[in-house]
Amino acid sequence: MSVWNYVVTAHKPTNVTHSCVGNFTSPQELNLIIAKCTRIEIHLLTPHGLQPMLDVPIYGRIATLELFRPHGEPQDFLFIATERYKFCVLQWDAETSELITRAMGDVSDRIGRPTDNGQIGLIDPDCRLIGLHLYDGLFKVIPFDNKGQLKEAFNIRLEELQVLDIKFLYGCLKPTIVVLYQDNKDARHAKTYEIALKDKDFVEGPLSHTNLDNGAGILIPVPMPLGGVIIIGEETIVYCSVSAFKAIPIRPSITRAYGRVDADGSRYLLGDNAGLLHLLVITHERERVTGLKIEHLGETSVASTISYLDNAVVYIGSSYGDSQLIKLNLQPDAKGSYVEVLEKYVNLGPIVDFCVVDLERQGQGQVVTCSGAYKDGSLRIVRNGIGINEQASVELQGIKGLWSLRSSTNDPYDTFLVVSFINETRVLAMNMDDELEESEIEGFCAEAQTLFCQNAIHDQLVQVTANSVRLVSSTTRELLHEWNAPSGYSVNVATANASQVLLATGGGHLVYLEIGNGKLAEVKHVQLDYEISCLDINPSGENPNYSTLAAVGMWTDISVRIFSLPSLELLAKENLGGEIIPRSVLLCTFEGVSYLLCTLGDGHLLNFLLNLSTGELSNRKKVSLGTQPIMLRTFSSKDTTHVFAASDRPTVIYSSNKKLLYSNVNLKEVSHMCPFNSAAFPDSLAIAKEGELSIGTIDDIQKLHIRTIPLGEHARRICHQEQSRTFAICSLKNCQTSNEETEMHFVRLLDDQTFEFISTYPLDTYEYGCSIISCSFSDDNNAYYCVGTAYVLPEENEPSKGRILVFVVEDGKLQLIAEKETKGAVYSLNAFNGKLLAAINQKIQLYKWMLREDGSRELQAECGHHGHILALYVQTRGDFIVVGDLMKSISLLLYKHEEGAIEELARDYNANWMSAVEILDDDVFLGAENNYNLFTVRKNSDAATDEERGRLEVVGEYHLGEFVNRFRHGSLVMRLPDLEAGHIPTVIFGTINGVIGVVASLPHDQYVFLEKLQANLVKVIKGVGGLSHEQWRSFNNEKKTVDARNFLDGDLIESFLDLSRSRMDEIASSMGVPLEELCKRVEELTRLH
Amino acid sequence: MGSLLDDWPSYDPHNFSQLRPADSSAQSSKLTPVTYRPTHNKSLPPPDQVISSEARNILLRHFYQKSEEKFRPKRAASDHLTPEHSCKQPRCAYTDGAD
Repeated sequence: MSVWNYVVTAHKPTNVTHSCVGNFTSPQELNLIIAKCTRIEIHLLTPHGLQPMLDVPIYGRIATLELFRPHGEPQDFLFIATERYKFCVLQWDAETSELITRAMGDVSDRIGRPTDNGQIGLIDPDCRLIGLHLYDGLFKVIPFDNKGQLKEAFNIRLEELQVLDIKFLYGCLKPTIVVLYQDNKDARHAKTYEIALKDKDFVEGPLSHTNLDNGAGILIPVPMPLGGVIIIGEETIVYCSVSAFKAIPIRPSITRAYGRVDADGSRYLLGDNAGLLHLLVITHERERVTGLKIEHLGETSVASTISYLDNAVVYIGSSYGDSQLIKLNLQPDAKGSYVEVLEKYVNLGPIVDFCVVDLERQGQGQVVTCSGAYKDGSLRIVRNGIGINEQASVELQGIKGLWSLRSSTNDPYDTFLVVSFINETRVLAMNMDDELEESEIEGFCAEAQTLFCQNAIHDQLVQVTANSVRLVSSTTRELLHEWNAPSGYSVNVATANASQVLLATGGGHLVYLEIGNGKLAEVKHVQLDYEISCLDINPSGENPNYSTLAAVGMWTDISVRIFSLPSLELLAKENLGGEIIPRSVLLCTFEGVSYLLCTLGDGHLLNFLLNLSTGELSNRKKVSLGTQPIMLRTFSSKDTTHVFAASDRPTVIYSSNKKLLYSNVNLKEVSHMCPFNSAAFPDSLAIAKEGELSIGTIDDIQKLHIRTIPLGEHARRICHQEQSRTFAICSLKNCQTSNEETEMHFVRLLDDQTFEFISTYPLDTYEYGCSIISCSFSDDNNAYYCVGTAYVLPEENEPSKGRILVFVVEDGKLQLIAEKETKGAVYSLNAFNGKLLAAINQKIQLYKWMLREDGSRELQAECGHHGHILALYVQTRGDFIVVGDLMKSISLLLYKHEEGAIEELARDYNANWMSAVEILDDDVFLGAENNYNLFTVRKNSDAATDEERGRLEVVGEYHLGEFVNRFRHGSLVMRLPDLEAGHIPTVIFGTINGVIGVVASLPHDQYVFLEKLQANLVKVIKGVGGLSHEQWRSFNNEKKTVDARNFLDGDLIESFLDLSRSRMDEIASSMGVPLEELCKRVEELTRLH
Repeated sequence: MGSLLDDWPSYDPHNFSQLRPADSSAQSSKLTPVTYRPTHNKSLPPPDQVISSEARNILLRHFYQKSEEKFRPKRAASDHLTPEHSCKQPRCAYTDGAD
C-alpha cells in the first residue's frame, strides 16, 4: 500500500520572484536578498561578486519581500508576507549569524474575497505603517508605534475592486498611497489616498489621474525631492506629481519589472516580457521635472525582478529563464547592447513537462525537463551523481591494485600507472604519442603483487610486496635499498606516504619504516593482539609528507585503532561492533576538519571526527554505500580533496559547508581507483572495473548536474523513444512580425545524444500541441509518436476541434502515418492495451489501430466515457484508467474488454482543480491541485455498499507549496536491489518554480518511525519568522484547511543531519534510538534523490 | 546616450571590482549557501509582537464611529492636508482599538 508517503526536494526552487538590496547583515555591508517562492537567499556584495551567505527556507510562499529601515536602526529589517496571510519581520544578528524574529502575525480575514491580481504588500517610506492589499475592497494597515513596534492591524475600505498596483508616495506628511485600478468598463485610473491612522480611514489624496493607458500596470513612486509617481503602460509612460505631468510614448511592450538606479529616483531600469532592458530617465532642473526619456540597453532573461546592486552591476531575477548578474557598460558592444552578462544562475522553472530516461543505459534515471518560457525556453538534463567521462580504456582482467607515479617529485604530471595482479605487477606509461603503453621500472619487483606503491621524497619510489619494501630511484629507476620481511612472515597490508611506510605482517606485527635518501630505516615494530586488516598514514596534518598518526583496522575484535608515529603508541581504539571486518581506513581532512573514514566488508562506511593532536575519535556516523567491500582513495578535483569509495556502488565523498556528502558515481562497479593526472589526460582518474581499466575525467563534485539545451522557443511536452533514440517535443515559438505577434507550434524531433533538432513537423495555424507519447499498437511492432492537438481559436471558450497525429521515425525524419480529427483538445494520450487512449475535452476515448485493405493504418474509435468537466490528466494501469479533471478531482474508470466499454468505478467527490495525477499502486492514486496541495485517494473495492465502493477515499493530504505540472514514475538515483532504499517506489514531480521532487512510498513501520522523528524535529528546528511548520504543511484550499496526514516532510527530516551534535543527541534520546542508527536511517533517505 | 549611462551609483567602489565575466557557455559553479535551520528561541517573536487583526468587523466599526460622531459637535470641514491636523486628530473615543 502506497499510502505512507515521504515528500522530498531533489532540486530546490530556482524561480526568482522577488529581490531587494539593502544593509541587512551589517550597517556597512550591502546585501542582495532574493526570494525563490518558498526560500530566501541572502547574498553579500563583494569585490569578487555575489557571495551567497544563507539559504533560508520559509514556511510559506512569499508574496511580499521588502527591506525597510525603522527609525533609529543602523541596519535594515526584512519584511516577508506569505500567500497564506502570515507575515514576519526579520533582523540579522551579526554576532550569532542568526535571524531574529522581531514581529510576526496573521493578517487573514475571516470573510473576504482574495484578490485576483495577487497580493500586494508595501511599507511606508517613513515607516509609519505596513500596507497590505489581500482581499478585494480592503486595504489592511499594520501601524508602527513611535518606538517602531507593530500594533494591531486593521482594515480600511478601498472602493476600487480591481486593483493593479499600490505604492506609497514619498515625502507626504501623512502616509499616502497611490492606487492603480481598473473600473467596470475596463478603463484604468490612478488615484491617491491619505491614510488617517486614528480614524482608520482614507482621505482623498493629492493626485488622481483618469483614463490611463489600457495596459497601465506598474506604479513607480519617485523619491523626494522630485516626488510623484511614474505609471508604466504598454504604450505610454506617464509621470505625475502635484506640480507636473509628463508623458512619453514607448514601443508597445509589457513591462514586468523595474529597478531603481539612483537614490534620488532619476533613473530606472525596466524589463519587459521579451527580455528587453530599458533605462527610464526623469530629466529635471532644480527639482522640477522637465521630461522623461527612455533608452534601450540590451537583452536579458525575461525579468521578474530587477535590483541595481553597485558600480553598474545589476541582478536580473527571472521566472522564465536563468537569473543573471549583468553589467551596464558605458559603450555598446558590436551588437549595440550595453548589457554584459557576468554570471548566470540556473533556473529550471517553469517545468511544464519532463520525462525520465536512462540515456547512458547505466540503470540510472535522468530527468529531461521542458523548462523556461518564451525565448528562454530550454531542455534541461538533470542527473544525480557524478559522471565519469571515459577517455580511454583497455581490457585487463584481475586488477588487484592501481597507483599512479610521477617520474620525479617536481613533475606536475603522472607518468606511470602501476597495475597490480595476483602474481605480477605491470607498469604502464604514457609514451611520446600520449598513448599508454607497457613499460618497466627496473627496480620494482614485477613478479609479485604490489601491495602499495608511492612517490617518495628525494625523487624515489616505494614498492611494497609480500616479501619486501623496495626503494627505487625515480630518475635511474634502479633499486636503491630493500627492506625484507622477516623470514616466515609475509606482508599482508601496507601503506606509505612520501616519507613513511607502515606495513603489517601475519601475527599482528606492525612495522614502521622511514624513508631516507637512498635508505629505508625500520624505526619501530610492535605486535598487536590480532591480525591487521587495513591501515593508513595519509598525512592529514600540516606536513604533506609526514603523518604523526596511523590508523589501523583489526580482525577479530573488529576495531579501528589510532597509533602515534613514530612511536606506535596506541592513542585511541574504537570498537566497530558487529562481525564485519574493516576493509579500508583513511585519514583525511575536508574544509579544515579531520576525519577517519573506515569501511566494512558489507558496504558500510563509518566516519569519525579525528583530533589530530590526541588521536581521539568522536562523532561516529555510519552510512551504507553499497553491499560489497569498499576501497577508499583520495583524489583532487579543482584543488579540493575528495574521497573515492570504490565498490559495487561507487561513491564520491566530499564536504560542503563542513558536512560530509555522498554522491553516486555513474558507474556500475569499481574495484580500484587512483588519480591519474597526465598531460594527455589531465585531472583524470584511472578506474579498474570488471575486466577493464579505463581513464576518465570527472564532473564537478556536486549532487545534481544540470545540462542546458537552449531552444529559443517554449517546449511544452516531451517524450523519449527508445527504439529511434530520439526525443519528440511539442513547442511554440513567438514570432514578431512587423506589428503583430504570432505563435507557431511545432512537433520537433531531437537526437537523444546531441539534442539537435533533426526533424520538424509544423502544426496548423492556431493548432497547439497538447500531448505526446511514444507507443506501439497490437499487431504492429513499430514504435510511433502520437501527438494530440487542439485548435485554439480566439472566439472559442473551449477548443471544439483537435487532431491525433501518428508519426513514425524513418531515416531520422518524422513521417506522418495517420491522423484523426477529434471534437476537442486532446489533453492526454496513453498507450492502453495495444490501443490509444485519449482525453478529449469532457471525454475519454479509446482508439483501435486498424489495418485498412490497402495496407495503411488508421485510428478507429472503439468506445469512450463521458462525464468530466475537462479530462486533463490520464494515467493507466492494466485495465484501470485514472482521470484528473479540471475541477472534479480524481475518478477511476475501468475498461471492459468483452463489452468494449469504459465505465466509471469510483470518484473523489471533492472539488479539486487538478494539475497532475499518478497511480502509486493498484489502489492508491496521487493527485496535485492548483492550491499547491498533494493528496492521495484510495479505491474502496472491499467496501460493503455500492455507494462506498463508488467513492475514492481521501487517505493523505499535504500542502506542498508548489504547483506540480507532472508526475512520473522513476528514480534519479541508481537503484540497488540489495539496499533497503532499493525497494521504495518513487515518483518524481516537476513544478513551476523549477523544483524537482520525489514522493517515496514507505513501508508502514518506516513511516511511523520517521513521523516520530518529524514530530521531534518540529520542536527543535524553529520556523524562520516564527512561522509554524504544522500550519504550513496543512492541506489548504478555498473550502478547508486540515492537518497534513500520511505525508512526511522529507526536507525537514533530512535537515536532521544539519543539526549540531548535541541537538542530534537530544532527538535520538527522546526517540529512544541510538544516534548512529538514526543518522544512518536519515542518511539512507537522502540517497533516494 | 552617454550621459544617461554615466555615473552609475557606487556604494563601495570595490564591489564587483574583481569580478570577471564567466565563460557564458559554462554555468559558473557557485558555492551553495548553508541552509539555515534555526534552533534558537529568537526565532519566536516577542510576545507583544504577535500581531493580529482588529476583531471588530469593518462595517461594525463604521457604525460605531458614526454613532460616536452624533454625540460630538460637528467637525468643521477640515482640510486634512493642513499640518496641524496631521499629528493630532480631534477625536479620541476610538483611537487604537484593543491596544
